[in-house]
Amino acid sequence: MMDVFNWDGTVSAKDFRIGALSFAQKWESLNSAFPPWSWVPCPKHPWLASPEVDIDQNSQTDPGEEETSCSEKEDDIDDATLVQSNHHELHYCDFHIVYSYTFRVPVLYLRAYCSDGRPLLLDEIEKELPACSSKESPETKWAFITQEEHPYLKRPWYKLHPCGTSEFMKLLFLGGDTGQPKLEVVLELYLLSWFSAVGQVVGLRIPCKMLNDRR
Amino acid sequence: MAAESPTSVRKVVVHLRATGDAPILKQAKFKIPGTDKFAKVIDFLRRQLHRDTLFVYVNSAFSPNPDELVIDLYNNFGFDGKLVVNYACSMILTSYFHTSKGISLVVF
Repeated sequence: MMDVFNWDGTVSAKDFRIGALSFAQKWESLNSAFPPWSWVPCPKHPWLASPEVDIDQNSQTDPGEEETSCSEKEDDIDDATLVQSNHHELHYCDFHIVYSYTFRVPVLYLRAYCSDGRPLLLDEIEKELPACSSKESPETKWAFITQEEHPYLKRPWYKLHPCGTSEFMKLLFLGGDTGQPKLEVVLELYLLSWFSAVGQVVGLRIPCKMLNDRR
Repeated sequence: MAAESPTSVRKVVVHLRATGDAPILKQAKFKIPGTDKFAKVIDFLRRQLHRDTLFVYVNSAFSPNPDELVIDLYNNFGFDGKLVVNYACSMILTSYFHTSKGISLVVF
């Protein structure tokens, strides 16, 4: 078994799923102000076919849509609603956490739209997100946010490119001064740690006690 | 335990720790009222380092939200009378989120 010292900051698909379910559980019990996450297994992936992971199928997953690229991703979905009163208009934002087989890390996808279904453009989304709207960072531009087709839903979403993820995940777990954590602990907390960093940018915060809850 | 002060406001000892290739601060330890938000620590770091983009995290593999109160972070992650805040500013991290104006900060 790989030891933590040589860890490259990435996780396997299996560990992503374990971490995602643990993340969803803790979120539901400790962050109940937000909607819960639900796990959507890709219909085509052979080892996800078992019934026990078939939790809360998101109604948007239409098996009739599946194409070959669909079998490469696994989804953790949060239909979070960010409500912004902007000219009396409600904006909604959906977030998906999808595993990338290429980079071996989670990837955050997001999509925002008005109540009439009109999708919001990136610069409209940016205006509403805390990292952009706070006085401290009025002009923040994301160098690595791109628009691309959602691997499942085949519609344009925005995605936070995963290229820097393994770097900051290594720092999060190995950069502290409290010694090497056990690899099992790293894998269990991986999604939580990842989200503590990435979520801030899109206005989703997790309370610090979620990381401290070792149950 | 947070350091006691004569007034009723408890102060927290924060120790700023450079990681990766980040520069080490001359003044790396200070006390801050527990009721202050973490944003103040970030702000201090930013001014001291003259850097707009930093990656800031605590020892339990957690990057705190700037709105968190320092006392809550201390209670959850403090050890040995202080809160250790790690920071890094490697090229990969800083180019991950670039800022178009030098004064901006992304804490991520």
